[in-house]
Amino acid sequence: MSTAHSDHTSDHATPPQVEGHEDGEVHAHVNSPLFMIAIFAALIVLTVITVAVSYVDLGSANTFVAILVATIKASLVATFFMHLKGDKSIHAIIFIGAFVFLGIFIGLSNDDLSTRHEVDSVNGARRLDTTGVVAPGGLQVPAGPASAPEATQHVEGVQNPHGASEHH
Amino acid sequence: MSSATTTEETHAAGGHGHGSKYPFLAHHFDTPAHQFDSAKLGMWIFIATEILMFGGLFVAYGLFRGQEQEMFHQAHERLDKIMGAVNTVVLLFSSLTAALAVRQSQVGDRKGTTRWLIITLLCACIFLVVKFFEYQHKFHDGLLPGHYFTAHLAQHAHHGHVLPYRAHMFFALYFMMTGLHGVHVLIGMGVLTWALRRNLNGKISKQYFTPIEIGALYWHLVDLVWIYLFPLLYLVG
Amino acid sequence: MATEAEIAPSHHHDEPDPNANYLIASKGVWSWLTTLDHKRIGVMYLISVTLAFFMGGMFALLIRLELLTPGRTIMGAATYNRVFTLHGAIMVFLFIIPSIPAAMGNFILPIMLGAKDVAFPRLNLMSFYIYVIGAIFCLFSIVSGAVDTGWTFYTPYSTTSSSSVVSMTLGVFILGFSSILTGLNFIVTIHKLRAPGMHWRRLPLFVWGMYATSVIQVLATPVLAITLALLAMEKVLGLGIFDASLGGDPVLFQHFFWFYSHPAVYIMIVPGMAIVSELFATFSRRAVFGYFAIAMSSLGLALLGFLVWGHHMFTSGQSEFSTMVFSGLTMLVAIPSGVKVFNWTATLYKGSIWLTTPMLYALSFLVLFTIGGLTGLFLGTLSVDIHLHDTYFVVAHFHYVMMGGTVMGFLGGLLYWWPKITGKLYNEPAAKVSWGFIFVGFNAVFIAQFIMGSRGMPRRYYDYVPEFRPYHAFSTYGSWVLAVGFFILAGVLIQSLLKGAKSPPNPWGSAGFEWNTSSPPIYSNFAETPVITRGPYDYHEATEEELFDGFPEDFKKTES
Repeated sequence: MSTAHSDHTSDHATPPQVEGHEDGEVHAHVNSPLFMIAIFAALIVLTVITVAVSYVDLGSANTFVAILVATIKASLVATFFMHLKGDKSIHAIIFIGAFVFLGIFIGLSNDDLSTRHEVDSVNGARRLDTTGVVAPGGLQVPAGPASAPEATQHVEGVQNPHGASEHH
Repeated sequence: MSSATTTEETHAAGGHGHGSKYPFLAHHFDTPAHQFDSAKLGMWIFIATEILMFGGLFVAYGLFRGQEQEMFHQAHERLDKIMGAVNTVVLLFSSLTAALAVRQSQVGDRKGTTRWLIITLLCACIFLVVKFFEYQHKFHDGLLPGHYFTAHLAQHAHHGHVLPYRAHMFFALYFMMTGLHGVHVLIGMGVLTWALRRNLNGKISKQYFTPIEIGALYWHLVDLVWIYLFPLLYLVG
Repeated sequence: MATEAEIAPSHHHDEPDPNANYLIASKGVWSWLTTLDHKRIGVMYLISVTLAFFMGGMFALLIRLELLTPGRTIMGAATYNRVFTLHGAIMVFLFIIPSIPAAMGNFILPIMLGAKDVAFPRLNLMSFYIYVIGAIFCLFSIVSGAVDTGWTFYTPYSTTSSSSVVSMTLGVFILGFSSILTGLNFIVTIHKLRAPGMHWRRLPLFVWGMYATSVIQVLATPVLAITLALLAMEKVLGLGIFDASLGGDPVLFQHFFWFYSHPAVYIMIVPGMAIVSELFATFSRRAVFGYFAIAMSSLGLALLGFLVWGHHMFTSGQSEFSTMVFSGLTMLVAIPSGVKVFNWTATLYKGSIWLTTPMLYALSFLVLFTIGGLTGLFLGTLSVDIHLHDTYFVVAHFHYVMMGGTVMGFLGGLLYWWPKITGKLYNEPAAKVSWGFIFVGFNAVFIAQFIMGSRGMPRRYYDYVPEFRPYHAFSTYGSWVLAVGFFILAGVLIQSLLKGAKSPPNPWGSAGFEWNTSSPPIYSNFAETPVITRGPYDYHEATEEELFDGFPEDFKKTES
């Protein structure tokens, strides 16, 4: 059986799974156990690092470091344990593509939530002058007689999510 | 399959003549490699689906955290970093053993495959047991999602420190994310058990280790999700 | 989950005769229910979605009947809310989304590729049963009190409504997995099971459309799953993520929901476009103009579909900045849509047009989709949408896309491939009559809605001021014409099944590859794996034999 390069350190020179296996048989890309254990060791070291860093207060850099380390770990798992390296490129494209679409999801949602407080303070809250009834949506208007919309101010304990909670 | 062998003359890949040589080969595939690649492509697409599914929760996490960083920080200190770290190591190790199971099946070592698969399943069990104790502790402390959250009450003060009421949002996300992940651990165990059964039945060979490969890929995904869940929930909050 | 059905060595089952007609290759109801044959699964889907369409259509007629007069006509307001919700939910989740991909895609796509089956036949059968289970949950919600939230399940109403929301969302959640697995199966099939010579530039446009659709199904549907899971948890546990009183954000639900449901609109329309691309080529007797542009515009729609979901939320409390961004991005959708429409028109130019019923449906698609698409641009324009949001203008707009587009494509495809699926010809003049009723009825229903919507009639309202009475009445009369059209069509198809003449392999004289096999196809699709040497629309390269076996003499027999 030509299941090549068994038991040696993974042979990166020869792409093992390319289009058109001439004999139609499955030619696996076999890594050596030692190599895989080395990857595992690297993953453990990174875990220790990320836990250790979490005890140090770096401000917002903590989050950055945590995500960075997690991404390195995830890449190691995907590249070596999941054999993305040396595999068909379509698998890597699918994998990375999923993250691209996830990025679109979070990016455009965040685009809304992070700019929600930029409400026009005049139009953000409306009260009918004639009846004093507050129109639904927008900022809450403080209780009291109907007055100019400029009276709109931050109200404690509001339950409206797109209003005052971001107005600290 | 045997009756579908009239086609090999016309077929570029020319694989169909194998007939009974590959009992595992489905009639609409040309060669074992063709079948293997298709199965693997299918699994990768499924992994993309799973990423988007968990992605929804990560999006919710990111948006709420952006709004209430301080509350998230206070709430995350109620999670047990050590238990989380232990589970991280357990899952990383299970990923290694899953990869080793694949490797042994690739070189035709059935016993080795069985051994590594069983160790992987054991790791999964350990993970769930640790998770069980974590959950139990949270239940006890009233660190529950939504209406069931009571940790803002004085009797649940932790080092003289009471969580703000809105910290229930953090625990809503915590339970949804780890809960969904836990469900995936169970599904992954199911898939690996299926692969193990095929291996024990002698269905696995150097030419056909698809169930092991597919099961391991799924298991690595479970690990990948945890790699992100751990720091975001336990370390930075 | 995918793995369970990964490998399907068919020898576990009683081996059907690969060279027998698929309808009789193995016998008995059980052989149908456990079949791994993509054609039979496609037919089972076709029957299921037809039933769903019938049910959804009945609800539509009830809505229109209720709105015939202001105030109560036949039902109370609470019932009305449930009826329009069920109409929407059934039509979207049980009919349109699985209609073309799962029913026709399953049947035709592997044959077009020259494959024996889809890549994972067992997964395919599993996804059908997942569909059935999901449908049962949805239907269960009807008997357990029905849902009155609208098909969009917006929070906070859906989390506080006492109607049967959990059952319905669970059903839709399950249906989502059926959709994901079908998409997954198709992507792998298209990548891996193309016949020799079927390279990407020779893929039929139907296959390109299915490919784009599958990509959306795989990437967007999981987000719906997680959204509905959160919604159910919100209802059961009071999770708070979408509940403003607990610090959550109801508008976030809309982000989540539309991140799926806007791409889902393209799951609905792209397959319709895919079918009419085939119809225009066949019935114009010439190569599709701009083949590559049409193929890529399908992918373009799939991608852009992910960028524009916020245009459903212009008046929902989304930030002004975000609203502008989404409005701008929405305009981009017109580009691939326009590319398609112009290329189809150019295909007709100097073609030998044969006005069969499928072609009439394709032309209807061209006209109605253009109206639906252009009114979509009005709605994507920020200032105009403030006025038109949640009016009947929106209702008319998306019915022109969904029904004028997808359903017309579906019906065109159904009649076009009917001889291939059943092996029978249908009565062409009677089918044309039914087309006439459907086309006229459809326009009557929805043109009236465009007008009253632009004059401010809000959607989903039970009652209305008397000024809108003429429009509502006109719309309701139109719905009856439409219903007559569908009943005639049903009669035509039933008559064809019972008494239709036997179809030749290629009754339309098409150069498409699916016509190279017998009608109905044999169990293994082709006696020999075909070797593709030309494109699917290369009429100049197709041999006389390929194009004209048994045509048109057999056809004349049925008409006389």
